[in-house]
Amino acid sequence: MNGNVTSNRMKGRDRQVTLVAAIAVVQAIAATFFVADAIGDVAADGLSTHIVIEGLIAFALFAGVALGVWQVRIMLRLAQRRDEALAIASGALAEHIGHRFSEWGLTDAESDVALFALKGCDVAEIARLRGAAAGTVRAQLSRIYAKAGVTGQAGLVSLFFEDLLG
Amino acid sequence: MTAELSAPRRWDPIVKLTHWGIVVAIILNAIVTEEGSGWHVRVGYGLAALLGLRLLWGIVGPHEARFTAFPPSPFRAIGHIREIGQGQVTHHRSHNPLGALMVYAIWACLAAIIASGIAMAGAPPSDPFAASHEEAEEHAVASPATSDDEDEDEREEEGGAGEEMMEEIHEIGVNLLYVLIALHLMGVVFETRRSGRQIVTAMLPWGNRRSR
Repeated sequence: MNGNVTSNRMKGRDRQVTLVAAIAVVQAIAATFFVADAIGDVAADGLSTHIVIEGLIAFALFAGVALGVWQVRIMLRLAQRRDEALAIASGALAEHIGHRFSEWGLTDAESDVALFALKGCDVAEIARLRGAAAGTVRAQLSRIYAKAGVTGQAGLVSLFFEDLLG
Repeated sequence: MTAELSAPRRWDPIVKLTHWGIVVAIILNAIVTEEGSGWHVRVGYGLAALLGLRLLWGIVGPHEARFTAFPPSPFRAIGHIREIGQGQVTHHRSHNPLGALMVYAIWACLAAIIASGIAMAGAPPSDPFAASHEEAEEHAVASPATSDDEDEDEREEEGGAGEEMMEEIHEIGVNLLYVLIALHLMGVVFETRRSGRQIVTAMLPWGNRRSR
């Protein structure tokens, strides 16, 4: 569920970069045609005010290409940096969660259930995901809450949220 | 560095757009447009723009798109061949050393084709539906009938010899390009068998999504 949201956002970002890149490509083609045409005009008629204007437009087109390319470069770099930061943060969080779980003395099964609880699953969902009875999961959850010293799922989540906020 | 090597290859949109744009332009000018026609020249200019953009991207683009990420090095290419012989597989984020040589060969070939094409055709014709460029040029030469006949003959002869050479370069370049494209495709098929589909999906328009 959360994964889908993230990948949708990433797809949107990819699409945005592709759009800017496509515009840069079209600009580059247009600029090339324009400049080739202008050079042809100079060869045919020599310099004139018309050519000066064409030269300005050509300059503007190439500036547009340069800026478009630069923009793509920046967007790609930002996307890469965000991916890296996110990877580091999620890795660190996973490590921190594992550390806390072992601190509380959760069993492997309880750790599994606790992780699902942290991700926002309810008893029925956890039972389905683990192929266990709802009663078992409920019992595991209450043991987890007791070991963590909280009264429910919200309390468990807020423990880690508090750690993250510092 | 190890993380960089093990991460899957992903080409950015500029690399993809220029790659497939050049593919379309080559197919158009090989099969669809008439040689020397206005559209042939126009498509050629479009191809020139795409190549120019890719070369610019080779200087300012992200790491794996830059020339420095795939230097044309015969030594590394030999090392790569040795690796193939030993059955080792290294994943490259940019072109592999043999692929890099291919890239530069294709670019050089395209540059020669473009340069000789422009030398023959001049500026792109402005009327898309004009007759072939050669006809238009003949018309243009014929109209200033006041000029000295001798002069014109001389000029035409010079132009004719130069044009013939350009035509020769254009044709040899194109045939060489076809050979290179065939080799490129064989290389892609070979590397796909050796190191997986990722090579192909990295260049496909839709094949770039982060895996998983």
